[in-house]
Amino acid sequence: MTRSQQVARPIVRSLRQATTSTSAACQSQPLAIRQFSSTPNRCDGPTTTTTNTSGTPAAPGPEVLAPKKTPPISLVKQGTEEELAKYLSPELGSRRRRAALATTGDVPFEQLPYQCFQEARKILAQDREEKISKIIAETAKIKRLEATDASTFRGGEEYKQKRLESMRNHVEELKILADINDPLVKRRFEDGMGDMNKPIYRYLAERKWRSMDYKIITQRVNQFHIIPDVLPAFDPTMDVKMTFRGYKVAPGAILDSLDTEVPPTLRMQVFDKGERMLSVVVLDSDVPDPESDTFRRRLHFMATNVSWDPTSKSLNLNRLNAGSSSASGNTETGSLAVSWLPPFAQKGAPYHRLSVFVLEHADNKPLDVAKLKELYDSEVGRQKFSVKSFRDKFNLTPVGFNIFRTVWDEHTAEVMARHNIPGADIEFKQQRITSLKPPRKAKGWEAKRQKPKYRSLWKYTKRIKGLKFK
Amino acid sequence: MSSTLTTALRGLRLTPFLPIRPSVTLPSIPSRPLSTTSVPLNKMSPQYLAAKGLNKKSKAKNNAPRQPNFINMLRHLAVLSPRRIPAPLRMARNRYLRHWTIHRAWLMYRRKEREAREKVWMRQYQSMNHACEELRLTSGPGSRDEGSLFRTALEKWGVYGLKGVPIEYTRAQTETPARVAWNHDWKR
Repeated sequence: MTRSQQVARPIVRSLRQATTSTSAACQSQPLAIRQFSSTPNRCDGPTTTTTNTSGTPAAPGPEVLAPKKTPPISLVKQGTEEELAKYLSPELGSRRRRAALATTGDVPFEQLPYQCFQEARKILAQDREEKISKIIAETAKIKRLEATDASTFRGGEEYKQKRLESMRNHVEELKILADINDPLVKRRFEDGMGDMNKPIYRYLAERKWRSMDYKIITQRVNQFHIIPDVLPAFDPTMDVKMTFRGYKVAPGAILDSLDTEVPPTLRMQVFDKGERMLSVVVLDSDVPDPESDTFRRRLHFMATNVSWDPTSKSLNLNRLNAGSSSASGNTETGSLAVSWLPPFAQKGAPYHRLSVFVLEHADNKPLDVAKLKELYDSEVGRQKFSVKSFRDKFNLTPVGFNIFRTVWDEHTAEVMARHNIPGADIEFKQQRITSLKPPRKAKGWEAKRQKPKYRSLWKYTKRIKGLKFK
Repeated sequence: MSSTLTTALRGLRLTPFLPIRPSVTLPSIPSRPLSTTSVPLNKMSPQYLAAKGLNKKSKAKNNAPRQPNFINMLRHLAVLSPRRIPAPLRMARNRYLRHWTIHRAWLMYRRKEREAREKVWMRQYQSMNHACEELRLTSGPGSRDEGSLFRTALEKWGVYGLKGVPIEYTRAQTETPARVAWNHDWKR
């Protein structure tokens, strides 16, 4: 700031306030120029009052952000603020920044001329080249090994297969390592635009899942005792999220019985490549059985032959058709074996755990739906169902899990009536267990002085509020 | 003449000039000769305050020891202070991505450096190992038995202790460096 500007500063400030107050009427045009500095404008250009008005919108509009016309860099560097404002709004920052924007407006992200960034990209690109050459070498080695006869190895066929397996794993690892340092890959993954057929995006998705959601699910499995109660051992390897009527549900939440009247939509994500067949099972493991004074299980839903790959996103259990497994129109792939029984808990019963299991078929073989229906689609079949026996009988592997809970609430009776479920009028009550010990005598100063001997103290010992002595 | 004047002035300085004695008896009033300020203004002097026990700062510093839990708390807060923990980097998305890219490249660069270094060390170690193995299997000069050269090579006399020579000096010490530093064409 020159000396003359310093001297003129208070005058300019007062003048500016005056112009602001007078030009309040002509603020209809969206000028929106916030003054970053309190110094007066440069005096070499014609000063208009409108440039100094201080209307402050919350965010710069598109007319600010979009450069009207790309000016030559010399103009940005040399022109006055007013000349410059015709091209690039002063809101965009300093003169230097505007010069940069004017010249690098449409440069893609990876070509932005930041020196350190570009040097970093060179290092990463070189590393990627190395990784790719390694992949090529490794695949050539795999081919050579596949071509050689197994009898030439001391370990035989078993050794060969093991070696091939480990080499393929190494190639997969290298594929991930080649792309993991790419900022564009990171950006695409964060935007949810990643192609799940590519190993890098699957790897990133799995890492993200393992960082929190997996931990929550395993915690629910442990704290709700799913592991000894429903399955002897279980470790989820795929992401299963639930939405009821379009609303996300946290694992283990106690849900309203109106919400759970319709089956949920499962958002499932698998992290290993290839197509597979899945079965979905929902079971209640806390059905009270007063006759034998225990809790039993009940199957609430079963769908099978759902073909799934990493790019599949969600499975609407409501749209599964009960008939064949043909995908037609609005229905999902897969077939319904046992239809949805709305979860309910009778009055007084503790909460029911409803676990959603996703099981993977062995060798992608579909299950026989008719047999499943015969086995489980009846009152008795639902009660006889057990995940462990189902797994063992049909050679399945439990891979995904989610859980919700249900208790008696104001809508349960109405839901049960709508679906012809008996037992809405039953209320469970805790059995009262009386103590076997004799009742204890009253203790204390007052109790001791209840006898007629202490008649003089009765005014202190007999009329105590809230106490009654015999 | 001048010497007598200075002695007179010195004498003047030695007897402080106090215009008005305040009613409060002061244990030791700092003498401020040639000043026209009155004594009440002088009450803010540290000596005066210390004498009256009004200087709280110095008292707290000297006498009252801090409670250990208070010290702990202070330490905890010191750890949390922005001097120790710098403010988090706040960046827009593109800038964060550039930052991330540079960070990854830096990690990659350091990793490569480290691996190259470790490779060299490993090679050196291996070659030393091979040399020792060779020595162990040769029967020594003259009538000495197999491995005697190896044993001699591994002797550590004079390496440790007060009068020992550091292991770095275990080469033939010469007055000047060699004309040819390394004979690359040497073949067995």
